[in-house]
Amino acid sequence: MNRSRVRVFSLVALCLACALPARAQDRPPNLWFQGTRLIFEHAVALPGDLGVSTRDAGLRRFLDRLGATVSYQPQQRYVVITAEDRRTIVFTLGDPSYTVAGVRAQAPFAPLADGDDVVLPFFTLARALYVEPLAQPNEIVLQPRIGALDVRTDAGRTIVTVRGAMPLLIATTGESPERLQLSFTGLGSALAPGRRAAGPAVDTIDVAVGGTTKVPTTTITFEGARGSTHRVLPSGSLDAYTVVFEPGTEAPLTLPTAAPPIVAGRATVTDLTIEPGPDDALAVRVTLSGAASYEWHRLADNRWYLDLDNTTLAGPGRDEHPAFGAVQSVRVRQTGSADAPAVRIAFTTTSQQRIDLTPSDAGLVITVATSPPSDLARIGSGRTGGAPVVASATASPDPNASPGDGSGPPGWKFGTNSNSKVIVIDPGHGGADQGTAHNGIVEKAVTLDIAQRLRSVLVAQGWTVRLTRDADVDPVSSDNLAKMRADGKPNADDRAYLQTRCDVANNLGARLFISIHVNAAPLESARGTTVYWYKPQDAPFAQAIEKNLIPLAGTQDDGTRHENLYVVRHTSMPAVLVETAFATNPGDVALLRQPSFLQHVAQGIANGVKAYAGSPSANALSQQQ
Amino acid sequence: MRSSRALVLVVLFVAAVAAAWWFTTRRQQSTVGDAITVYYAKADGTTLVPWQLSLGPARDRKSAAFYAATQCVAGPPSGTEAVRFPAGTHVRALDVEGSTADVDISKEIASSAEGGFAESAEFKALVWTLTQPKLGIDSVKVRIGGKRVATLPGGHLELDEPLSRSSF
Repeated sequence: MNRSRVRVFSLVALCLACALPARAQDRPPNLWFQGTRLIFEHAVALPGDLGVSTRDAGLRRFLDRLGATVSYQPQQRYVVITAEDRRTIVFTLGDPSYTVAGVRAQAPFAPLADGDDVVLPFFTLARALYVEPLAQPNEIVLQPRIGALDVRTDAGRTIVTVRGAMPLLIATTGESPERLQLSFTGLGSALAPGRRAAGPAVDTIDVAVGGTTKVPTTTITFEGARGSTHRVLPSGSLDAYTVVFEPGTEAPLTLPTAAPPIVAGRATVTDLTIEPGPDDALAVRVTLSGAASYEWHRLADNRWYLDLDNTTLAGPGRDEHPAFGAVQSVRVRQTGSADAPAVRIAFTTTSQQRIDLTPSDAGLVITVATSPPSDLARIGSGRTGGAPVVASATASPDPNASPGDGSGPPGWKFGTNSNSKVIVIDPGHGGADQGTAHNGIVEKAVTLDIAQRLRSVLVAQGWTVRLTRDADVDPVSSDNLAKMRADGKPNADDRAYLQTRCDVANNLGARLFISIHVNAAPLESARGTTVYWYKPQDAPFAQAIEKNLIPLAGTQDDGTRHENLYVVRHTSMPAVLVETAFATNPGDVALLRQPSFLQHVAQGIANGVKAYAGSPSANALSQQQ
Repeated sequence: MRSSRALVLVVLFVAAVAAAWWFTTRRQQSTVGDAITVYYAKADGTTLVPWQLSLGPARDRKSAAFYAATQCVAGPPSGTEAVRFPAGTHVRALDVEGSTADVDISKEIASSAEGGFAESAEFKALVWTLTQPKLGIDSVKVRIGGKRVATLPGGHLELDEPLSRSSF
């Protein structure tokens, strides 16, 4: 359906919208939500629902209260509402069907274009956001509800997540190791009153609703298995509450074995054999009924998997433990959804192994060699069926490539810089820009501390060291501000601040540039040290820093990474940016609080400098020659 | 006689409109296909995981790119451990000119942009999503809250130039 068709449809629908209410309904109903009246100024009662424009301030307030956002732009047909728990509700202009987290449903009417906005079926949207419209004598009460009770098992544990429409107000009304009773104030529920939980750690889950229509209360009681214990997990969302029940004794892990039926028009894995290959290699021969595209991934922990898209598995999944080669296990599973099935073939190997793919008319052969991989590719894709093709791989730039080997930009030549005994250290952030701040760690203070320690170590080695800042300031030159503001590019001030740090090194003709930072992540589990580089010839410098820093710092080795970061890109000498540790990980935070750790980081970086560039006297000699 | 001629003209006009409607509808539906790949970054901040999503009835390149970008920013289903865009972040607009997409992301993304880790993982997932072959997009220009920015506040990644898969 094209835009003109949408416009015609919208015009007709709007005419209907104008005509029908005059006959059937006088005006939109009174709405009650969270203790106040919800007033819409751009709403029209339509058959089966209430049409409300996305420009309506009342709708905006309603969505804000739920933590939901709307993505829509004129001339687009999709309207995407993202709930606080990241479920998406997708409407399409001119189409009454919509999806909630990928599940298709039918609305009473199709969304209508309304100038630069769109008229949505409000009650349908509210229900998708776990808010139930309940008809009362003179009004409609919009009751937030417990929308979902997800129960899953993992390694014998039972993990239960309660999801509501709004931030949960929870009271624990009864608790023992084997029993937990939670009361959710202000939330109703349409969940089944009782269920027998899947998994060995919880016997039953009972749901009871009390209170009034406007102020409901839902009580959920979990009865754990004998000897079980429970604990609350951080859910990452105010609208969700997750509790994990641990069994008293170890429970067996069950794996799904059911296979989906074969569907015409899709490729099907009709046979899969595992056989020895040459030189202790292992070959997995996959026979397919038709063409299929695939994508593979190499993980850092010696796992590798391949997904065959739009493909089903004729038969149950398989778990194999070959007694030869470097393969510890081979797992074959039906994955994806009913609409988009996929077959996953996963290997766990003894170490990172070379894996070759040979697509053919009949299917695909995956060969796992006993030798290490020849490149750093972590992801690739290809297609089976028709003429054999070579799997394409997207690899990170190879930091092992020798500089100046003719295959890329030339490497750095010692002695080409005017001040080959000078190293510039850049303590990240400063002044009003405090960088990341978590758990009592303020990045600008830590980076300056490490930089000053590093300066002492490098000076002791004979280097001349300059810091881009030696106090709690964010340096910027007026020349850079003027220049950046004049060039017409965006964010002139931000670039001026960063360029000023680069200029310190560029104007000095420094030998090396090292920027110090502290990392942060939305996941508490992220930790470790990463050294970033941009210019291809800087990869060996980054590797030298990482190799020497990790043993002293004792942090997780997150490796070196090629990244388009301003300060390592706009400096004219070997430059790295060291993300020392995470201010969001408890283990790393404990380290960042210790002065001895900061000293070890400084010493580790200095050791890396020595490994990469040698001593300053050697550089001076090289420069003279 | 005059009325029958007018009737013929009306019939011809209706037929022409129907043919144009059918032609444009068929053309648009055949552009991208019925599914799109969306990537998210695992907790290591580097590894991308693809997942397939069915498209609705709008399957032209620009609609599919907008849909894919909104799903990428929303992230995978809750319960999946992933590096996620900050709460409230959403796609404000997306345009496609030639092989370049221009995506406008809401300002919430800047609210917790700290360090290179999350920033890199978030944009890597978005760029890989938008540059999947079927969309014919090679590079992605970024606006934040409607404005061009050089970097995120407190962040490091250069955003004033188009991003591509080779940027990561």
